[in-house]
Amino acid sequence: MIQIQRLSKSFGHPVLHDVTLSIPTGCLYGLIGPGASGKSVLLKMITALMRPDTGSVVVDGQNVQAMTELELASFRLKFGMLFQNNALFDAMTVAENVAFPLHRLFDLDEAEIRRRVEERLAAVSLAGFAERTPVGLSGGQKKRVGVARATVTRAPIIFYDEPAAGLDPVTSQKIFDLLRAEQQRAKTTVIMVSSDIERLLTVTDRVGMMYRGSLVFDGTTDEALTSTDPYVKQFVHGLAEGPL
Amino acid sequence: MAPPPASTASAPFASLAAARESLYGVAETVGKMGLIAHQIGVRFARLDFDGEELKRNMYKMGVKSLPIVVVTALFTGAIMVVQAAPIVQRYGAQQLLGWGAGFGTLREIGPLLTALMISGRVGANNTAELGTMTVTEQVDALRALAIDPIAFLVVPRFIAMVATLFLSTLYADALALFGAAYAGQFLLGVEAATFYNGLTSGLLGIGDVANGLVKSVIFGGAMGLSSCHFGLAVTGGAPGVGRAVNATVVTSAACIFVVDYFVSFLLE
Amino acid sequence: MTTDSATGGLAAIVGRRAIVLFSTGRELYSVLVRTLYYVWRGRAEPGATARQMYEIGNRSLFFLTVVMGFIGMILVLQAGLQTQRVLPDLSMLGASYLELLVRDLAASIVALMLATRVGAGIAAEIGSMVVTEQIDALRMCAADPIDYLVKPRFLASIVMTTVLTIWSGGVSILTGMLTAEVVFSVPPRTFWNLSLVHASDLATGLTKCFAYGAAIPVVSAFCGLSTFGGSEGVGSATTRAVVNSSLSVIILNFLISSTAYLLFQ
Repeated sequence: MIQIQRLSKSFGHPVLHDVTLSIPTGCLYGLIGPGASGKSVLLKMITALMRPDTGSVVVDGQNVQAMTELELASFRLKFGMLFQNNALFDAMTVAENVAFPLHRLFDLDEAEIRRRVEERLAAVSLAGFAERTPVGLSGGQKKRVGVARATVTRAPIIFYDEPAAGLDPVTSQKIFDLLRAEQQRAKTTVIMVSSDIERLLTVTDRVGMMYRGSLVFDGTTDEALTSTDPYVKQFVHGLAEGPL
Repeated sequence: MAPPPASTASAPFASLAAARESLYGVAETVGKMGLIAHQIGVRFARLDFDGEELKRNMYKMGVKSLPIVVVTALFTGAIMVVQAAPIVQRYGAQQLLGWGAGFGTLREIGPLLTALMISGRVGANNTAELGTMTVTEQVDALRALAIDPIAFLVVPRFIAMVATLFLSTLYADALALFGAAYAGQFLLGVEAATFYNGLTSGLLGIGDVANGLVKSVIFGGAMGLSSCHFGLAVTGGAPGVGRAVNATVVTSAACIFVVDYFVSFLLE
Repeated sequence: MTTDSATGGLAAIVGRRAIVLFSTGRELYSVLVRTLYYVWRGRAEPGATARQMYEIGNRSLFFLTVVMGFIGMILVLQAGLQTQRVLPDLSMLGASYLELLVRDLAASIVALMLATRVGAGIAAEIGSMVVTEQIDALRMCAADPIDYLVKPRFLASIVMTTVLTIWSGGVSILTGMLTAEVVFSVPPRTFWNLSLVHASDLATGLTKCFAYGAAIPVVSAFCGLSTFGGSEGVGSATTRAVVNSSLSVIILNFLISSTAYLLFQ
């Protein structure tokens, strides 16, 4: 259960403004909004990669923002994250990338690590790619390596920041289906940021919409689709006319 | 990040091959810098360069380097005193501290360190600017507008760099001696007046100052040529700009030392 | 920005700069402290330090050899010329040169060159990782970037600065000796005079190697980690790293030289 209370952040100009939000356990939560509305910043606040000016983030009863970097190191066992640009480590192979969190967070033996890595790569349909390097991979392949790395630790809370950005429609659909299947299998809490509203809303349980740093909507997927709020309606249905 | 060597047995031969490649690379760079020098020279002789750009670059480069030159010069002067002190004391001549610190600063350390620090700031920045302009096709755009990029971009920057280095060396020399005088007083108890006498006692002359300044002009030229060359020759997007900046700083430093030797030798 | 009067405005500008400088200094100090902590208690990443040592050595060896060779020639040339104005006898030329080299010049010049090469490399690498979110990814995997990235470079730099200083010192002694023979007819036997090189000089020189070797990666990594603004930011971070590492070397030089002078009077 993630509880965000009155989160605010400003870099000279306000990036987050008084955001309050609750995400229940086991929910697949979609975070939508126009560009630069603060979605990625919000994700980084929850994982304490960024500190807010005011407000708090409580994850499973613990105030994340009050922890030191050292305490966070072990607390981050609960998180898995796919970054907007994959953030794969250039200096490592695909297998090493996926194995990295296992090495750092757990004390497993090599065989077990190899097994888990292979299982993950197979799950994202990249079975023979273990020894490849990120440089030579296509956009879709890099995303899938990112998904494998985010889910290899079997963390209970996963963040996907633009999982289908820059991918063709077929690959996008495959990624979304994959992520939904993962979430249902592992019963994880997932927060997904995406600009691909149509596809995103086919997999989400709940939706939140951000606009210029404020949360303008928080409800179930059905409520989002039938909302009469002009901002939400325009964005969800991709209309040119409206306040946005 | 480069992978580690495959086998240590082949390492010495690999190093030799690498050294040979380096030499070819060096020769190529020197040649290309010579070409740019010629192009600059031709336009300078015709007074064919942009005055506005010259003023703008002089201001930018001079102002950007001021704080660094000041800090470097003051500390350099102090370091020279600390290094010269035992030698001077060995020959029992406190009065010669001014001479000891002075000749090193004016002839060598002043021009050298000033050139190195300014190369790191101004040279690198210049390459980054020209490199970015090349990568974003702004240089091509200039050509399409029938504006000669060398006359418009390169010559003003070259002149500005030489002038900046000359002026910076001048006040770096003064500041370094100032720093040295007070370091001498504070650390060694040598009065500033004694230091000043040592400077002007006749062992050091205007020739030593001129020696350093001539070097600074030549260093400025080397820095200008290398930074403009690498800036305009960038390929490969943003990482290419980074590589060019790296290459400029390294090449300028190498040129500065090599040229320093030959100029020192020639000016005697 | 308010400028009440000319002096008020200037004081405000200087004051603002001083505050920025102070907080930067504090952050830099924090990076240094955390690096030392991880050296003592961090996770051992097999081969990471060795790989960094290879990187540093490989990149700089040729460059340093050439530069230090020329420096040897320049220094002996200048020292000889100046000494000739004051003293007739150049027999102590080699002795003074060796003393200066061991105590100061070898370490300082090598460090200034490495500040350029190594400093730029570290800042560029770490800076690129910042803008591609790889640093955030490291933190999410419980790998503190200071532990994973800075520590191996820190250790490697200290070792390699010392090794390269010793090597380059040797090279410049050879070229200096050659210059003394060719230009001033000072025979190599006379030049190779260790009478003025005391243990204190050796200690000072080594301390400088360690201090410079420690400062360059810490300052450069700090510049890399504070990159902002996309790929242009990486270029700016690289430039800052080169300039600030070089300045650190100069300031440390002064501090260590003065301390040594006052101690070993």
